[in-house]
Amino acid sequence: MEFYLKVLEITSLYTILVLGAYLMTGLTGLFSLGQGGFVSIGAYTAAIAFLHFHLPFPVAILLAILMGSLVGFLIGIPTLRLHRDYFLLVTFGFGEMVRAALLHLAQLTGGALGIAGIPQLVGLPMILISILLITFLISSLKGTRFGRNCIAIRDDELAASLMGINVYSYKMKVFILSSAITAYGGALYAFVIMFIEPNLFNWLESAKLIVITFVGGVNSITGAIITSVVYYSFGEFFRFVDVWRDVLLAVAVLIVTIFRSGGIFGSWEFSLKKIFRWSGKGIS
Amino acid sequence: MEVLKVSDLSKNFGGVSAVAGFTMEQREDEITGIIGPNGAGKTTLFNLITGVYPVDSGKISFYGTEITRLPSHKITALGITRTFQNIRLFRNLTVLDNVKTAYGVKIHYTVWEEMVRYPTVKKEEKKTEELARSYLSYFGLEKYSKSYPYNLSYGLQRRLELARALMANPRLLLLDEPAAGLNPKEVRQLIDTLLKIQEEKKLSIIIVEHHMELVMNICTTLHVLNFGRKIAEGEPEVIQKNEAVLQAYLGDEA
Repeated sequence: MEFYLKVLEITSLYTILVLGAYLMTGLTGLFSLGQGGFVSIGAYTAAIAFLHFHLPFPVAILLAILMGSLVGFLIGIPTLRLHRDYFLLVTFGFGEMVRAALLHLAQLTGGALGIAGIPQLVGLPMILISILLITFLISSLKGTRFGRNCIAIRDDELAASLMGINVYSYKMKVFILSSAITAYGGALYAFVIMFIEPNLFNWLESAKLIVITFVGGVNSITGAIITSVVYYSFGEFFRFVDVWRDVLLAVAVLIVTIFRSGGIFGSWEFSLKKIFRWSGKGIS
Repeated sequence: MEVLKVSDLSKNFGGVSAVAGFTMEQREDEITGIIGPNGAGKTTLFNLITGVYPVDSGKISFYGTEITRLPSHKITALGITRTFQNIRLFRNLTVLDNVKTAYGVKIHYTVWEEMVRYPTVKKEEKKTEELARSYLSYFGLEKYSKSYPYNLSYGLQRRLELARALMANPRLLLLDEPAAGLNPKEVRQLIDTLLKIQEEKKLSIIIVEHHMELVMNICTTLHVLNFGRKIAEGEPEVIQKNEAVLQAYLGDEA
């Protein structure tokens, strides 16, 4: 039982990160390989604030979110004017830079040894509530002007700006929000796993977030969540095929990109309203 | 009053002069045509007015406000909207949402209010939806509101682009080859629609076009471009007889 709970915890943690990536890559079409950097920033900020500065737990989490947003803002200023592949390269560099910085700022971060002895203050309920809350936020944004504008920017930046959309400012909002969510995920991670080190989230992990978003369907939050849960729990349950997990993902990506370029779930979204309406029809 | 005043506008692309010393004035409630052979710089001119390319030299002002160095989204917000020669609709947005995007600047709620689904958001969205639907039905597109643009025929896509451009409630509308790819019947429909819009909305329109029937029928003034330079300006009847224009289009005799 405990094993399943642990798997669910880890899967849910990663799902928060996928939601952060969804906002950037799925909704707005920004490919960032630097998400790992924000995970680390969140995890380290929370852990250091809690252990070194003895700040209360909620404050530590809040600081992690603020730090994520601030770094997102600072990194966003120069990079968001870059186009697709250049943006990808710069964010990749940023992620690796954070890793290197954490290794070398040993006095604060413990260097390669990482930080151990973080108390386990976060449990499954808190993670699940977080997922619900973040999903609510993102789906609210997706359904109104914000979402429309983001998708417009993804489809055709030039046409979007000629519709009166301030492309740069929208990208900035998305980048900050995504960084905040990702840093929050990182902070939770620290208090679930109880140990963090600089290599906890490298660029390959960041790339997986993008791939999961694409396999699930860039127009579907539901798709991103379900794909994330399947992928990460699959890996834990089938430890014995561990190496094959990535092969399977690769095959899934190939099949999806060839046969279903809109992702498995296309633009389908889970909606309570629709279910109520449908069940209501069934009864009457 | 002049809606748009372009003075001595120039643009070079790596030594090739795309637009050179172009000057024009657009008066209120008029339809102006810009014609010229392929590569004459007509689309470049639109791109300069809407801030897509930075201007090399010259000045553009809109209702007395200088817009020469403004970014595209601000120019749109001031009241200039446009369509594109090669249709640029948003592939992943439904027909209805495509039209709604153009109204974004006029919606009054913040990102924070959107996140928590504040009541104002619902109210504003409802208003936007009603307006968008009215534009769709104006162009006979209401039954496609839930489909995606790439499922529409070429003619319908052109109409959708026009609906989207009008949704922003512009004071000046720039149409880049609106008749390209349309059959004769659709072109006549377009002419009727444009005249109707212009009258109902009290709108000024500038059209870049090859289609002579369209241009001669609805434009009050024509500007003829060739190799980035203006070679003639005047009423359609006068332009039709202009020597330089005939030469540019048909080549030199002899």
